[in-house]
This record gives sequence, C-alpha cells and structure tokens, in this order.
Amino acid sequence: MAQYQNLFTSVQPVGPLHHGVDLPRGDDKRLGTPFLFHLLGRIGNAQIGPVYLGTLGLASLICGIAAFNIIGLNMLASVDWNPIQMVRQLFWLALEPPAPAYGLTIPPLNQGGWWLIAGFMLTVSILLWWARTYRRARQLGLGTHVAWAYAAAIWLFLVCGFFRPVMMGSWSEAVPFGIFPHLDWTSAISLRYGNLFYNPFHALSIVFLYGSVLLFAMHGGTILAVSRYGGEREIEQIVDRGTASERAALFWRWTMGFNATMESIHRWAWWFAVLCPLVGGIGILLTGTVVDNWYLWSVKHHVVPAYPLGSPLVVDPALLGAKP
Amino acid sequence: MKSLLKIALGLAAPVVLGLLTGCERPPIETVQTGFRGTGMEQIYNPRTLAKQASLNKAPAPADEASPDGPKASEVYKNVQVLGDLSVSQFNRHMASITQWVAPDAGCAYCHNVQNFAEDNKYTKVVARRMIQMTQRVNQDWKTHVAETGVTCYTCHRGNNIPANVWFAPKDRKYAGGVLGDLAGQNIATKEAGLSSLPFDPFTPYLKDAAPIRVNGTEAMAGIGKSANRASVKQTEFTYSLMAHMSESLGVNCTYCHNTRNFQSWEQSRPQRVTAWYGIRMARDLNNDYMTPLTKTFPPERLGPKGDVAKVNCTTCHQGAYKPLYGAAMAKDYPELQALAKP
Amino acid sequence: MAMLSFERKYRVRGGTLFGGDLFDFWVGPFYVGFFGITTIFFALSGTMMILWGAAMGPTWNLWQINIAPPDIAYGLRFAPMMEGGLWQLITVCAIGAFVSWALREVEICRKLGMGLHVPVAFGMAILAYVSLQVVRPVLMGAWGHAFPYGIYSHLDWVSNTAYQYLHFHYNPWHMIAVTLFFATVLALSMHGGLVLSATNPGKGQVVKSPEHEDTFFRDLIGYSVGTLGIHRLGLFLALAGVWFGIVCIVVSGPFWTGAWPEWWGWWLNMPIWRT
Repeated sequence: MAQYQNLFTSVQPVGPLHHGVDLPRGDDKRLGTPFLFHLLGRIGNAQIGPVYLGTLGLASLICGIAAFNIIGLNMLASVDWNPIQMVRQLFWLALEPPAPAYGLTIPPLNQGGWWLIAGFMLTVSILLWWARTYRRARQLGLGTHVAWAYAAAIWLFLVCGFFRPVMMGSWSEAVPFGIFPHLDWTSAISLRYGNLFYNPFHALSIVFLYGSVLLFAMHGGTILAVSRYGGEREIEQIVDRGTASERAALFWRWTMGFNATMESIHRWAWWFAVLCPLVGGIGILLTGTVVDNWYLWSVKHHVVPAYPLGSPLVVDPALLGAKP
Repeated sequence: MKSLLKIALGLAAPVVLGLLTGCERPPIETVQTGFRGTGMEQIYNPRTLAKQASLNKAPAPADEASPDGPKASEVYKNVQVLGDLSVSQFNRHMASITQWVAPDAGCAYCHNVQNFAEDNKYTKVVARRMIQMTQRVNQDWKTHVAETGVTCYTCHRGNNIPANVWFAPKDRKYAGGVLGDLAGQNIATKEAGLSSLPFDPFTPYLKDAAPIRVNGTEAMAGIGKSANRASVKQTEFTYSLMAHMSESLGVNCTYCHNTRNFQSWEQSRPQRVTAWYGIRMARDLNNDYMTPLTKTFPPERLGPKGDVAKVNCTTCHQGAYKPLYGAAMAKDYPELQALAKP
Repeated sequence: MAMLSFERKYRVRGGTLFGGDLFDFWVGPFYVGFFGITTIFFALSGTMMILWGAAMGPTWNLWQINIAPPDIAYGLRFAPMMEGGLWQLITVCAIGAFVSWALREVEICRKLGMGLHVPVAFGMAILAYVSLQVVRPVLMGAWGHAFPYGIYSHLDWVSNTAYQYLHFHYNPWHMIAVTLFFATVLALSMHGGLVLSATNPGKGQVVKSPEHEDTFFRDLIGYSVGTLGIHRLGLFLALAGVWFGIVCIVVSGPFWTGAWPEWWGWWLNMPIWRT
C-alpha cells in the first residue's frame, strides 16, 4: 500500500511573507521584496528574499566580483578573445600562479601577477564574508557556530593558496584557478609527495568527509522518518523533548546500542563537517614542508602492506651506469 | 510511490544520457599485471583492439634477393649508405623503401628519374640519413627494440611524413601581453590527451634531458643541499609525458608502475626499464638525426617555430604496446640492422 | 537495564518482518529480531574468516593485514581458499550482514511507527558496496577486479584502479559525485551550526526560534530552505553523492576502457565549434 514519504510537499499553504526578525538599530534595511517560487516550495520554503546587503556584504561582493572578472578575462584572453572557444574550452582554461623560478617575488602581470591579484581579492572577499556570517548571527542574537564552521573551510583554502606556498618559498605551489587545472594540481601534489593516500591526515580528513555524508544521510533520514511527529521542529524538540525526538533516539539506540539527542546530533554533525577541512588542511600544510614522501614516511611507521614482488627483480637502469 | 518513481527517473536519466555520449559496452578484456587485488590491470575493448590490429599490420616482406654479383657502390654512383649490398639486394631495398614511404609518388619522390644519382631532392638527403637512423636504432638501441627492431615502415606506414610527429608549439601573445598566458598548458590539446596538462612535454624530455623524476628518496623533507627541489608544476610536466607514453602504447600507468609508489623500481614491471631506454633513444634520434636535418627540409615541412619534425612515442607505437603489435619486420632486412663500418 | 527514562513505553511487540514474536526482544539496548540473529551470524563468520586470513598471512599489524580477491584468471569461479576463496566467502558474509542490518532497521522503524527513510538510505550504501564488489566484477568477467580487505591495501587498489584511466578526476560522474560530497559536508556544517546557534545563543540571550534561523540565511544569501527542507536536502545530497559514485565506478571498465580525459572528445569535437 502506497505511503506518503514526505519527500516533496504536496500541498503548499501560502501565507503572508516573512520580512525577517527585526534587526537592532545600526543595521541597514533589508533589500528586495520577497516572493514565492512554487517549485522550490515542494522541497523547502518557497520564499525567496529579502536579503541583507550591508557594508561587509557589499565589500565582499565587490572584491569577489573583481576576482571573478580577473580570472574570466584572463581565461578569455588565453583563447584569443574568442567567445566560442571560451565556452568550448571553459573547463580546460585557467589563471595560473607564477612559475617556480619567481619564488615568492611579484612576477609580471601575465606571468602570474594577475593570479596574485585575483587570489588576494578572493581572499579579502572570503574573509569579509566570514565577518558577515559572524555579524549577522550576532545581530540576530544567535550563536556564531556557522561562522566558526566557515572558518574551518577558510583554513583549508588559505593553507592551499597561501600558507603552504609561503612556507615552500614559491607561489607556484599554489592552486590554479580553473576547473580541470585545479584537478591536475590535486593529482600533481599527490604524485610529487609520494601518494597522499599515505598521508594520515589526508586519510583522517576522508574519514570525516565520508562520515559527514553518512551522518547527513542518517540525520536527514531520521528526521524525515519522524516528521509525522513534528521532528523537523528541532529547536522546540531540543528544549521540550517530544515523541519525535524519543522515537528518533530509540531507533538508533536499538540499532547500534547508543544514540544522540536532538541537540547533540547537531554537535556530531558540526564536528564531523568541521574536522574534514581542519584535519585536511594540517595534512596539506605538512606536505613538502615536513614530509617529502608520504609512502616512505608510512614505511618508516610500519603501516605499508607488502606484496610479493615480480621476479627477476627490476633494477633502476640509471644505477647500472648504463650508457646513455 | 509516484515520488519514488520520479527519483528513480531523475537518477537514471543522466546515466542513460551519459552512456549514450561516446561510451563503450561490455564484454571487455583485462590482463592482470600485478599481485591480485592491487588493481594493476590492463583494460581492453576487444572491438577496438580488433580494429586497431587490422590497422597495424606489417606488410609482407619483399622476396629475398641474391647477394651474388657486384656491389651496389661499384655499379651505381653516389651510393653513400648500403653500398655493400649486391645490386639486387640494393634494388630490393629501394623497392621496399618506396612502398613504405612513398607508394604513390614512387621513385620520383626522392630521385630525379633522369639521373638517379643526383642529390638535388631534399627527400633523398633525408632518406639517406634516415636509413642510418634506422640502422642506429636496430644496432645500438636493442635495450629498447630488442631483436624485433624497426624499419622505415614502423614510423612511416606508407606515408611521406609519419602520421605522428611533433614540433615545438608556437608562442602566443595576448592582449599586448597584459593578460592571459597559457603557461604551456590549460587548453584542450591532442598532445595532452585532452587534459589541461602541459601540451609540450616533448621538448624538455624527448629533446632536452630535463630530469623526469620528481620523487625524493627520503621520507622527511630535506634542508639545503639534500632538499628535493622538484615542484608541483614540474610534476605536471612529468605527468603529461607519462600520459603521452601511456596513450602511445595503448596502456595505462599500471603497465609499468605500482601507483602506490611510482618511483620504486622494485615494485615496477620490467616494461618500465624498456621505457626508460625508449626515452633516451628518442632523445638520441631527435638530437643526432632529426635536428641536424633542419636546414635540409623546405619551410613547409618545418613547425611554426621553424624547427624540424621530431619523434615521440606515438611516432612508432601508434597506439600499440609494441609497434605493429610486435611484428618482426627488421629480420627480413639485415641491411637495416647495423651501421656500416666507417 | 540500560533503558532511557522514556523508553519503556515504546518497547512493544510487533513490526517484525519475519519470525513473529520468536526474536522480538532486546539484549541491553540492542533490538534483536530475526535479522539481528542473521546479522550476528554473518558478522561473526565474516570476522572469524578475516582473523583466520590474517593468521595465515605474514602479519598481525592492523594497517598491513590484507585479504586479497582471486587472480583475474579465475574469472567468476570459486577460487581456492588461500588464493582468494577466503575473500569470496568474506564478501558473501559482508553482504549478508549489511542486508540483515538494513532489514533489522526496517523492523525497528515499523515498531516505532517511523518512516523507512534510514534503511532505504543505508540501502544506497549497500548498493555502493555490492556495485564495487559484485556488479562491476561480473560485468568485467572476474572477481579479481574487486577491492581487497585491508586498511592500506584497499587504498592501493583505489590508486591503481584510478590510474588505469590515466587521470580519474576527468571522469564526469566522479566530478559530480565529488561535488555532491563536498556540498553535503558544507550543508551539514551549515545545518549543525544553524541549529546550535539558535539553541546556544550565548551569554544572556534566550533560545531563538525557526524564524531566526530562516532570517539568518535569508539575510546571508537571500534564501532559507527551512527546517523540513534542509533534511530533505541533506538526505538528497548524501544519497545523490553515493549514487554518482556508484555510476562513476561501474562505468569505468565495463563502459569505458580508455583514459578519462579522452571522454571529453565528444564535447570538444562537436561540429559547431571543432578546431
């Protein structure tokens, strides 16, 4: 017998639009007239807007759009300003960091100078946005947990694009702006440093990545499963535990012997999600600065499995004093 | 139920679409190249392989010629190589070379047919040097070509110019030099196998002798003299060369390496040693045979920067793990197996 | 008795799929059920076999233990125990244990009057495992294509399998899957952060309401998906990520044998703009 699974909202009640909780004095007015988007309402809220622009938001957008344009124009230039080729080769195009020969010096504009400028503008934009997430929370009387989670992501971003290149003495170690090129960078850093799978921080970061996917499937599924009891009203359930939280907790207790509460599951969630980039950033920062070859490091620490080798044993021809 | 159906459709549709966009189908063939469970395997589409095999066949050798009679250098004028062959052996060789390199143009591709001895066509000068190049490969590069060896056909395959040669890529100038530098990569090129990796890994590694290895031998990062100074950028160049080698041979990285530790020779396969010699051979041919011929070629045969056509792995291999899938043509042409004694 | 303060009233009979009242009881906090019995059977057998395999192997080092599948030469046949047969039996036990666990979750949901979203979601994870260890090897004609059981050895398999396609990052399904995985982590951090920020607003503040949650995200990005929507979104992102992961690996080999960058040729060579 077919059962409603609460995956899509079938009947959308339409009431007055919400213009947001009042902001304290000193804040600007919100921007835009909110409107409803019915299709969106089948999944979540139908209301779009209003948005708070604010000084920090405006500054962040300006820097961010500047970075975006610098990257885009350089990409367009690299295909001779041909817009068709820009679309065709978009995934291949990039704005490259300076070549290794430049070290940490400022190179000519088209030899990595633009990359430095774009990177700087993007970083300022991201940091201004961070300040925005912090301030919006404070102004609404909320905790700053979202901002601190965002900080973990910024940590990884800065490690890859700034801290590690500086510690290595070379901007060229940083990530290029580009779809496929940044994937080439990912492969190259693993190839150069002896296989990043053998970096224990990388492995731990993946544990938290897959763990986050697992947790959100578990938590999302659990709440939907008890939505018939109002489970999605999490704040109310936290301060006044109802049958939704009770059943949700018992499901997991009976399944695996222990459970979270309606509040603590969100702490599990926050920590797993935050530890992914946090630990990952540590792993990248150690790569090349402290450890040059993660496979050999793992051999030293006795974790590398052994396989039978081919016979006869293959020998490096360069060692044979071979002719050419 | 309806929503379940919608979800199922939503998931299935992109898969179906994806499968329709230039994908293949089972059954496929696989060859294990390492210990079980390590994932070291070669994967082949048998339908593609059959088509490739039919395109990479060696032609039948010419009937044997008698070694009796006067030497070619005694009968013909201006015979600088292959002079020790008998006249019939020499003519046999000429007939074969015509079939391998210029089946349409015939003898006139290299010779003035009124005076075969003349050297005024550049093709004759080039061909003479290429005969020496072939002899060099077969005599001095057995570390790469073993007893299988090569003939002119291995590269030319009936074409005046081999289908796969390389030139140095042209320089590009953008926006008065203010914006947009490719830095040698970041466009879609055949040379980079449609990746955005560097599109000229040939100049540094198959012409110059830039170091290919980027891994160090120590776990910890060294300081000062013992530091491994290879960069991530340099690694991309090595990666591009390796991708070229893989595509040229129709194999993948695990044909030579256990990718958990690329640098270890102990954990690699013997094929890697052969490849090591192949790289050195390509350098030798490009520097000692092709580059000195630059002035001999007319401008339309040169690259955008005026350099001569050069060889890389695809030139001979053309998608096969051994050129012509290992057909031993050279054994039927002993004159190509050794450089003449000076 | 390891029961939570409110638990007793929920411990009722019923909801079982199979076996009726026979196994409808708890051991400590764990619900048993018929599928609890089958779980224990498969899990214990599989674990015993792993331990035996380790004992037959060269090491007890947790990181180095490796139980490998058979050589490809054995095709889809059963291999000798020490040549991969053990791996095959362990795989059977794993599938048995995972499916039992999912069906046990169904029984628990039914008993608690909950929707079946969690066991269905877990089914996607089981599908991923079965795709890697059964579906893809069968499509490729040999059990030897599956991954080995070992902490670092399974990573060696990932590395080599990926490099079979020269540059696995160019696999478009892998790109989508990775994007969805990262989006899931992002959404999880935002959801966890948002709920905690409303219920832990800091010194001197009162606990906030869903209106505050919505206002925060509307102020920030112009849209708030809402308390129900975020759970649908999170479940979707997670399951879609796993689904495209399944697609990306099942396609690699059976439906694509070349280098993944070469796949993009169809886009680059479209007649409207080919160079």
